[in-house]
Amino acid sequence: MTRASDFTETEAMVSVMANMMEADKSYWVVGGGPPRIASLLAQALYLPNLTASTEDGVIAPQPLVPLSPLMQFVSAKASYRGVAWTNMNTVCSLASTGYFDYGMLATLQVDPYGNINSSFLGGDYYHPGRRYGGAGGANEIASMCWHTILMTTQEKRKFVKKMDFVSSPGFLDGSPGARERAGLPAGSGPYRLITPEAMFGYDEETRYMKLLALAEWVEVKDVLEKMDFEPLIAPNLELMRPPTEEELDVMRVRLDPLGVTISDGKWIHL
Amino acid sequence: MEVLDSGIGRLFHVPDPDRHRAYIRQNKQRALVEKVMTEQEAVSKFVSDGDYLCFDCNMVMRGPSSLFREIIRQRKKNLAVGGRFTYIIVNLLVGAGCVSHIDVGFIGVGSALTRVLDSGDITVTEWSNSAMTMRQLAGALGIPFIPVRFLGGTGAFQYSAAKLVRDPWTEKEITLLPALNPDISLIHVHQCDVYGNARIFGPSVSPWETAAASKKLIISTEEIIDTEYIRRDPGKTTIPYYLVDAVVEAPFGAHPGEVQGLYNSDQPAVMELMQAGRESTGEGLKQYLEKYVYSITNHQEYLEQRIGLKRLLELKKEAKIKEGYYL
Repeated sequence: MTRASDFTETEAMVSVMANMMEADKSYWVVGGGPPRIASLLAQALYLPNLTASTEDGVIAPQPLVPLSPLMQFVSAKASYRGVAWTNMNTVCSLASTGYFDYGMLATLQVDPYGNINSSFLGGDYYHPGRRYGGAGGANEIASMCWHTILMTTQEKRKFVKKMDFVSSPGFLDGSPGARERAGLPAGSGPYRLITPEAMFGYDEETRYMKLLALAEWVEVKDVLEKMDFEPLIAPNLELMRPPTEEELDVMRVRLDPLGVTISDGKWIHL
Repeated sequence: MEVLDSGIGRLFHVPDPDRHRAYIRQNKQRALVEKVMTEQEAVSKFVSDGDYLCFDCNMVMRGPSSLFREIIRQRKKNLAVGGRFTYIIVNLLVGAGCVSHIDVGFIGVGSALTRVLDSGDITVTEWSNSAMTMRQLAGALGIPFIPVRFLGGTGAFQYSAAKLVRDPWTEKEITLLPALNPDISLIHVHQCDVYGNARIFGPSVSPWETAAASKKLIISTEEIIDTEYIRRDPGKTTIPYYLVDAVVEAPFGAHPGEVQGLYNSDQPAVMELMQAGRESTGEGLKQYLEKYVYSITNHQEYLEQRIGLKRLLELKKEAKIKEGYYL
């Protein structure tokens, strides 16, 4: 495994996520973007029998990559060599009964308690500045998987104190038992948030976002400058490993040859 | 049961399982009768202005694209749309002036939708994809609501018409979703016989729930097969005949989308559709609708005059994955 020296921010973030995935855990992965590429990368290099599912009811597929951006669900390629083809309510019921350890999502905005916005930015509900697709399948993933892992870019407009809209739940207002009082399953909630520059978790006592690890090309102050609020900071920050050449090969040649997802963000030169 | 919180979104139909049962008793044919008709006839007979419309999948994945175009061509009005798991169709229907209410699971947002949202001409209620399929499940079970372990605590709940209640047994909080019994649903399938016994191969969103919850149901099918094949392999039937009101033969009916195992999505045509929807003045959408909907009379003309045999055969050839379909 050769350490790479030139890669995009998205490639870095995807590599970190892929390396966190485990063989004996089950994942509900959102359809497109960095989380899906990370899941495909893990499967291509490390976990051929990855237990991942999508909201179209496809259970543990071995997708025929690359997948076109709009064809990440239902299509013959996306559902190739699954062990079962079910439907949306079946996957939802499996999440509801506790079968999914991790949900993997992207977000437009995140707040200190890991709440997610995918509905609109700016304005108010009735007059949105820019309207987006809505809660989609993210709400059920963030509500019912045991742990939610988010991926987003490190930008001040994304890490906000207060969100324009909460589409999908994190720890809500952060108070003890807030999720349970809203009817969500006990013991579930946000777990990690990965950006190209940092990894965050959530404080066990306060459920407030906590910086856990940094990319080797940034310092704490660089990350804090790109946040609208100050997270807690772990006493011993870990270093995130940059991608390997092998991982970049798989991403660029097999998973996303047109660079639809992985070419996002600036280039890093180590 | 104590109601702890209520969403403020508009509930288009208040669930009424007895009224739904009465409708089914009165209107659904139990006899094994042929239901094959043209898309013009099916849409004009079964889609009424003001109906609540649902569908399975969307315009890029095994969705009823030819029926969507016919609804637009017939200039249906004031439809409520169950917009879950969609990329562009809601925007297209809105741009064509067919819509007055949207239930949002996931919708592809384009210029037409952005304009009407701001003007307030259309009412919108928030849900999520599974919230919509669970609402259909409740509708299909003939019950007025269904408890779920998601949606609660969010803005999506606040602008929905869901309720948070105290479960009378456990005394814990639980979210209730109102049942959805659409007036009309559209499902595109791989195979169907003349009576409506329909087969879908591959994964899907909620074909059973969509079919079983709906008052009226139009099936469009890639091919019509003999009932003898249905009876020889009943395990393959997704929807039995007496749920179905109309069968429309529509080869390449999902175009520009894919039908798994049969033909690939037509990516340039999908991009043309998406770009028309996103273009900010609304002119692009107008031109798209004129070219692909209003200026032709039916699906066959769409295939012959707008897409062409050469392209259709290419899409068939590109669909190389056959495992799990038809066999």
